[in-house]
Amino acid sequence: MHKRAFGAAAVTGVAALLMSACGGGGDAASSSSSTSSASSSTETTTSAPAPSPTGTEAPVRDQAADLVIWTDADRAPILTKYAEEFGKENGVKVAVQISVDLRAQFKDATKVGKGPDVIVGAHDWLGELVQNGAVAPIQLSGDVASKFSANSIAATKFNGQTYGVPYAVENIGLMRNTALAPTAPKTMDELVKMGTEAKKKSGGKVTNVLIQQVGKTGNAYYTYPYLSAFDGGIFATKANGDYDPNKVIVNSAGSIKGAEELAKLGKEKILSTNVGDENAEGLFTSGKAPFFITGPWSVPNAKKAGIKYEITSLPSLAGGGAMKPFLGVQMFYVSAKAKNAVLAQEFVTNYVPRKDVQLALFEQGGRPPALKEAYDEVSAKDKDVKAWYEAGKDGKPMPNIPAMNSVWGPLGQAAADVISGKAPKARFDAAQKEIVANIAKG
Amino acid sequence: MAAADTTFRGDPSTRSGPAPAWVVVVKWAAIALVVAFGTLVSWRLVEDGKALFVVIIAFVVMAVVAVYSTRRAVPLKYLLPGMLLLVAFQVWPIAYTAATAFTNYGDGHLLSKEDATASIIANSVQEVPGSPRYRLSIAVPQGQDPAKGDLTFLLTDPSGKYFEGTPKGLEDLPTDGVEATTTGKITKAPGFTILDAKQVNKRGKELGEFAVPKDNGGIKAVGLSEAFEGRATVTYDKAADKLTDTSTGKTYVPKGAAWVPADGQGEAYPQGWKQNVGWDNFKTLVTNSTLRDGFVKIFVWNVAFALLSVISTFMLGMLLALLFNDDRLRGKGFYRSILILPYAIPGFVTALLWMSMFNQDYGLINNITGLDIDWLGNPWAAKAAILITNLWLGFPYMFLVCTGALQSIPGDVREAARIDGAGPVRTVRSITMPLLLVAVGPLLIASFAFNFNNFTLIFLMTKGGPFTDGDVSIGSTDLLITYAFRIAFSGVNPDYGLASAISIFIFIIVGLMSYVGFRRTKSLEEVN
Repeated sequence: MHKRAFGAAAVTGVAALLMSACGGGGDAASSSSSTSSASSSTETTTSAPAPSPTGTEAPVRDQAADLVIWTDADRAPILTKYAEEFGKENGVKVAVQISVDLRAQFKDATKVGKGPDVIVGAHDWLGELVQNGAVAPIQLSGDVASKFSANSIAATKFNGQTYGVPYAVENIGLMRNTALAPTAPKTMDELVKMGTEAKKKSGGKVTNVLIQQVGKTGNAYYTYPYLSAFDGGIFATKANGDYDPNKVIVNSAGSIKGAEELAKLGKEKILSTNVGDENAEGLFTSGKAPFFITGPWSVPNAKKAGIKYEITSLPSLAGGGAMKPFLGVQMFYVSAKAKNAVLAQEFVTNYVPRKDVQLALFEQGGRPPALKEAYDEVSAKDKDVKAWYEAGKDGKPMPNIPAMNSVWGPLGQAAADVISGKAPKARFDAAQKEIVANIAKG
Repeated sequence: MAAADTTFRGDPSTRSGPAPAWVVVVKWAAIALVVAFGTLVSWRLVEDGKALFVVIIAFVVMAVVAVYSTRRAVPLKYLLPGMLLLVAFQVWPIAYTAATAFTNYGDGHLLSKEDATASIIANSVQEVPGSPRYRLSIAVPQGQDPAKGDLTFLLTDPSGKYFEGTPKGLEDLPTDGVEATTTGKITKAPGFTILDAKQVNKRGKELGEFAVPKDNGGIKAVGLSEAFEGRATVTYDKAADKLTDTSTGKTYVPKGAAWVPADGQGEAYPQGWKQNVGWDNFKTLVTNSTLRDGFVKIFVWNVAFALLSVISTFMLGMLLALLFNDDRLRGKGFYRSILILPYAIPGFVTALLWMSMFNQDYGLINNITGLDIDWLGNPWAAKAAILITNLWLGFPYMFLVCTGALQSIPGDVREAARIDGAGPVRTVRSITMPLLLVAVGPLLIASFAFNFNNFTLIFLMTKGGPFTDGDVSIGSTDLLITYAFRIAFSGVNPDYGLASAISIFIFIIVGLMSYVGFRRTKSLEEVN
């Protein structure tokens, strides 16, 4: 009996250990969604809940292929078409494989030599990938680089080195239900006034003035424009334009002013921690709010719901300037451990910068292309693309330094707390302290 | 099992005669299969350069052959598969976790020192300012094997001049007989065999190190048809163990598993390496006040959560089971299936559903009850919300096991109690409950252990939040497991070493509590 009891104890204990230590395989899938709960919104994710925990295993590298590309499910079909064309041109076999949690799975697979040659991902993964020796530099010629928008090329650099080729730039803007608010507001005060009137007129149908993802744990990505409107932000920049991880400016005078604006909007019940990624899009597409701060990923569902919308730049804040969003750049990376480094380099440096490839990738996600020529062609036909581009014109690329991982959580939470009534200055001072301490620890 | 014939006969003394021929054939075929499989796996492992695993597999295969090829060691024939699985899935992970707990393994410290240094140098390659870009064809001298011959770069500079580049240097290429595309890429040159994409790709590793030396650096390939002149700005001095950045003149020395500036000014290189840190992770857990207080606070809630979950689900499940076990009730089958529904729906769906129902403004619960509770934002309300959801998720299981146990309690015991004058309450308390607990007691402990590590529920509903102390590392509904997960895989800087140290603590705690628990159930069984 004794022995049996102890055996059972051991088994349960081991189960605990297994779950905690070795849960990496299955659970890691959900990890990056929290690493960058904010930045993940810049990927293709809409407000739909995370993919079900089943089938989240990393793909198994196709051994027979001469070039292996990993991407997410949305981009795979379009990429497959062009990968095949590339394969035909060069007489090689290209495999495009789907990874549901690319950032973590790429890092893990590369570590053990089972990773792909090329991945498609967001630029803010860069610092982390360099830190772990997972990506190789790209020697893009000056001629090719100059064909891309300056912001998108800046985003592919880390410590002065280029690590990839961009294909799209995305950012948030203001989406407006034109049935509820016919004209675009210039300032936040105007927005609140117009929204409140629409709410009054609708007789209960409109419940919210403005939809913006906050949630109980907050969202630093949507918080940043409030700080940038007063020249606040997250990191100060170095002389060469890089973000400086040693100069956190979350409690700078400008950032505090932004926090005060958040507090004001929270008090007026314009912003609420009860609106999060699980219900934000639904509230807008069901016509319950005239304004929605969001990105291109919300367009398909708004169209599907039959909402008549228009996209404009974010409003300006009283006493400050316009809210400037973060830019997220989608790019192609080459693995540092690529088994087919030559073809990977060839594909990324010579094939991705082609106009037809960039146009095809645009068709899939609706994000403004990074290649100027492709953008010009698209924006002439599609006014949404032009509007998104205009909304992000003054924005800066999201920091891609590893220190940014120390910011998402504390800044998001501070914003959520301020919106639900905490004192802005004290709370952002505390966030600053927490962020600085976390960076020092890392 | 190949050796079934020998084992079935059990005691060797009663063994009679040799086994039938077909059994012997099957047995040896199975053993041969194991050996063949082991060989195949080792082969692949040798290719990957994993010597340790090859040795382990050799031992396993030898053990299989030794145990099953003879008629001796009968008990081992039964035990070996179980033992192997135990080692593979339980002992090995524990050993691995324990070993990780003594390292700084985590983001920025995944590589070895050599790899980290190589990565820094490779990433420092910059184009020499003002140098031209060349069109490139990669070739070998005519007559040589494309897979092995001396690599040669056939280059065309922007002015259309042709060059031949080898590790010796750059030379002019006679233009006679050279054919090129409109962009200048050479397609044919006398004396050379130009490699196709596949052939070039096969030699990618050599190309990575191949450079045509030039005054300030070397000409290297970018893909298949372009070359640039670049140089690495960082050099490694192995003897002095330091890095020098030639572009700034700064030197870097190893400190704290990273290359830091020798003069202490400026930033370290982001690529650090994995190294042993001794008891540091355990020390951090015990001495760092945030971590320690967090650990204690989370531990208290974790125990309360697991206990309350078990008690609440068991009480509700048992009451319903008693109710639906009554002979007078009609349509029991129907009610029972309805009650099991919450158990049949995947837990993560339920958790997400309840999360939206608990929304303060838009959730069903506040809407129906007219309350205005910030369920997921107030620490205590969030705890209540978690417990309510877990009650919903967990009671059907308890209902099931209690129903099963109740049906195995003979009716005559209850009848005897009634004849002795016991009322229904007394019967339940003195007769049914003790008999029921004997059967479900161990399951309650298992349920406790499960809920102690109920990662999915917490992670999907609150992610451990709300975080009220101005600190996003320790949440009000965090369990130790979600806490360890956040440290290991997300949050600030994923630190597998520290998370391993925490999971060792969890292991010890759950192990001890389960041990005590099982000792207690023994006393329950003494009722009989």
